[in-house]
Amino acid sequence: MSRFFLRENASRARLREAAAAQANRRDIVKALSWGQVSRRDLLKLGVFTGAGLLAPIRGLSPFASSAFAASDSNIPTGMPPSPLGGVRAFSQPLLRFDVLPHVPRLTPEPTLESNQTLQPVHDGLGGGQGPIEGRPPGPTWAHQGFSRFPPKVFVEVTQEGAKVNASYDPGCDAAHNSGVAGGTPCPPCFHPALPIQDDRAVWTFNGSVPPKLLIGRYGEPILFRHHNRLPVDLRRNRGFGRHTISTHEHNGHHGAENDGFTGAFFFPGQFYDYHYPILLAGVNSVNTSATDPRASAPDDDGHLTLVPGDWRETMSTHWFHDHMFSYTSQNVYKGNAGMFNIYSGLDRGAEDIIDGVNLRLPSGRADVTGKSWANLDYDVNLMLADKAWDRDGQLAFDIFDFDGFLGDVMTVNLTYKPFFEVEPRKYRFRILNASVSRFFKLALSDGSPIIQIGNDGNLLPAPVVLTELDEQGIAERFDIVIDFSRYQYGDKVWMVNLCEHDDGKGPKQNLSLAAALSGRSDDPCVGRFLEFRVVRELKQADLSQVPATLIPNPDLSNIPVARERVFEFGRGGKQTTFNDVTSFGGPWGIKTGGGDMLNADFGRISAAPKLGTREVWTLKNGGGGWDHPIHIHFEEGQVLARNGSAANVPPWERGRKDVYRLRPGGSVTITMQFRDFAGTYMEHCHNTVHEDNSMLLRWDVNPDGETVLTALQTPIPTPQGVTFIDPDDELPGARSGGGR
Amino acid sequence: MIARAVVALLLLAMSGASMPGPAQTGTPRNEQYFPDVQLTTQDGARVRFYDLIKGKTVAIELIYTSCRFACPLETARLAQVQRLLGDRMGRDVFFYSISIDPEHDTPAVLKAFAETFHAGPGWTFLTGRRADIERLARRLGLYSTPNPEDKDGHVPALLIGNESTGDWMRASALDNPNMTATMIARWIAGYPAAASRSSLKSYTEARPVANLTSGQYVFSTKCSACHGLGEGPKVGPDLAGVTTTRTRAWLASYITDPQAMLQRGDPIAKALSAKYGAVSMPTLQLTDQQVQDVIQYLDRAR
Repeated sequence: MSRFFLRENASRARLREAAAAQANRRDIVKALSWGQVSRRDLLKLGVFTGAGLLAPIRGLSPFASSAFAASDSNIPTGMPPSPLGGVRAFSQPLLRFDVLPHVPRLTPEPTLESNQTLQPVHDGLGGGQGPIEGRPPGPTWAHQGFSRFPPKVFVEVTQEGAKVNASYDPGCDAAHNSGVAGGTPCPPCFHPALPIQDDRAVWTFNGSVPPKLLIGRYGEPILFRHHNRLPVDLRRNRGFGRHTISTHEHNGHHGAENDGFTGAFFFPGQFYDYHYPILLAGVNSVNTSATDPRASAPDDDGHLTLVPGDWRETMSTHWFHDHMFSYTSQNVYKGNAGMFNIYSGLDRGAEDIIDGVNLRLPSGRADVTGKSWANLDYDVNLMLADKAWDRDGQLAFDIFDFDGFLGDVMTVNLTYKPFFEVEPRKYRFRILNASVSRFFKLALSDGSPIIQIGNDGNLLPAPVVLTELDEQGIAERFDIVIDFSRYQYGDKVWMVNLCEHDDGKGPKQNLSLAAALSGRSDDPCVGRFLEFRVVRELKQADLSQVPATLIPNPDLSNIPVARERVFEFGRGGKQTTFNDVTSFGGPWGIKTGGGDMLNADFGRISAAPKLGTREVWTLKNGGGGWDHPIHIHFEEGQVLARNGSAANVPPWERGRKDVYRLRPGGSVTITMQFRDFAGTYMEHCHNTVHEDNSMLLRWDVNPDGETVLTALQTPIPTPQGVTFIDPDDELPGARSGGGR
Repeated sequence: MIARAVVALLLLAMSGASMPGPAQTGTPRNEQYFPDVQLTTQDGARVRFYDLIKGKTVAIELIYTSCRFACPLETARLAQVQRLLGDRMGRDVFFYSISIDPEHDTPAVLKAFAETFHAGPGWTFLTGRRADIERLARRLGLYSTPNPEDKDGHVPALLIGNESTGDWMRASALDNPNMTATMIARWIAGYPAAASRSSLKSYTEARPVANLTSGQYVFSTKCSACHGLGEGPKVGPDLAGVTTTRTRAWLASYITDPQAMLQRGDPIAKALSAKYGAVSMPTLQLTDQQVQDVIQYLDRAR
């Protein structure tokens, strides 16, 4: 796709513009091809970009008349390459996630229904008065399970513009954080030598980096109060991102009012209380008297607290991020993303506690740290994201890119190509793909084995040893274990990305390790991006293990399939979502099986499984070379087949998942149950550009367990309170059967 | 040879190395971003694209008048949104429908098309040079390369934006017009002063949405933009009692593919086309089940 020359069908205007430059360009290309000047020379002269293309300089490139290179250039971002100012890779330490503190209480106290106490509203938002909480009012949006699972832990965060982090807590000591101690001030930048990010360029939790980590455990419901402190003035966003937000905890099993519904967003000056009950799915149907020790949570004293539910539904690694209608990709890219570690009796984060339940995965030793759960020493969260920035080094985004946005700068935990110091023992890494449209395929630079223990945050039935991980789609979490004991003190090894893109449609190809390391790829995010340095001898023995059995799948053989549905994801007018919240589709849509009577509601509900049942859903890729990671909220599913056959399901997908990569032209058949909570959930492509445009649909779990739907009015939030629009205005009122 | 090339490069690098572009204080989507193209309105006036959006809240769609697929429905929907926005149209909100078939869609053709939909003030239909329009469409992110699934190279997307705030969002042109109007008037155009909100309903008054049949649903999303049921002709004929004036077989065939019926020379189709001329009913690619359902609905709604 390399285009040094104008295309034959370029407009005459472009040709005229570039006429003067053509002679120059020809000379350059000729000199290049004759070997008289090298790309490196041209790079140094600022004529070529790091991606090996002509820089968009006026008088040279036909695209120079635009502030941004045209989206059909093959610089992946569609923007000029991000200036790196000569910063070297692996010259800064990885900053581990910043652990969110639990606070003793919230003021005002959280309420069952939305707190509608009035406060003055800023004139820029229309003035007048509005409620302090942005959650839609009334019983429909009350926290389900609030009295049965009252919050025991309180977390309070803001969403605001970038500022220095004065209270960094990596959850471990400096030795396990490459020498960076808690409390070290962290300025908002991608590298100490790169520009400080403006408070209009980066918006994130508490306004600070590194990204935030929520810690929780089963049986301990969390009340997550999220204050919107983004600018009132829409223009203060450097051209991308919107100041209204809705937070989705991916992939929590909770009521829909706490799921970050795309239309339930809130405004600057408001907060939204999200209630996360942290319970095992099946809480109302399996092990209801909490007598199975495997269905448990770690307590503070090294023992277990038993909880109801199906222990085979234990989840471990989630993330949370924005889900604002039509602006998800912009907002998540801008920084609205964090991770959430959930601890259980099985996965308690203390590798030395032997109680017949604990799997003892790499985490930390309770006898060394004194913490009997949630040890982070050897359990590291990694958030991978490709970013791009403008000429001033500020985070920037091309919001008009239709196919999917690709950044040209590889970051881990919002740090540019860092190093991480390790001891020669086993480590667990919880890897999240938090990019907008990019897929990753990871390997170690020396081809050493990696053990995959979890997929989408759920521990697999059995670990899988790989030398290359599968392509990881947006929002997929891969939990892996790397055993550094095979290295010597002083060794280095790198994590490498093999997955090359040249546009946001999907991967172009997966390179071999040698090719990815060669530096020949045009994709700046291919190759080494994280350096592991073995920096000391092991002081305490590694007591962790990776057992042959982790968490078997729930046994569904006695649960009949109530219904099968087919959803097709793709492009074009034929494939539509019948959903008036998320719009009829940009170029992207979801087609639900035709002739399906249950879909017949006012288009806002595309599927309505009955509470307490199980269904089989087939997700098909509509074709066209696109790939789509499809995310279904609320419940985990098991993958039954790929392209119609169970034999096609690879071992690392034989556990529970919540993001299903369709692959071009492919299909995935899954089975899911619908339990415990009712309401409105979402199913959508997690290529957030597709999602925004608008490959997303709403499905409801009907609380009455009947097949007749009671659909909900779409909330229309305003700063002065949440209202609704009457959805059936178009139907003639006077006719029988006319819908009034 | 090297020296000349390198000197040329150096000169270029020094003279042009600074990218033309705004200081990034606000939105980069300003004059430098949008291509400087000239377009022609349905009244024959020449306009500069950027002037059409500068300082305004706009909704932009791509159309072509001979479209057999979604364009007529798109434009009919926008007409409904226009009615909902009332006197804000032409004051602070402007609609632009840009033709991607400029050779056929001359200003006169566009004018007839606009009149079929009762497009009011503030809504301009535009044509121009094909290459310019393609370039513009790409920059706006509305262009799509024709492919087997998407034969006409555009999608029913609506780009809504406010040039002065730099806030742009893509919505569907086929959405519930109340939703589209809300997005334009409430999200993009800026927050209305609290006082003017008196017409909004409280969420606590919201009742559960009526349970619709598939036929009702199909009618309301696909048909009602152009057809009334006892309201008289809109863009297309009123359908009250249509199941008594046409056979079910004919209706099923016509609803499934009106364009094919017309091409085959069906006399009723031809008569309809002559009467409702400027816009012909698009083929909406309904499934057989949907066609049966909507006919059943029309039958009951007599």
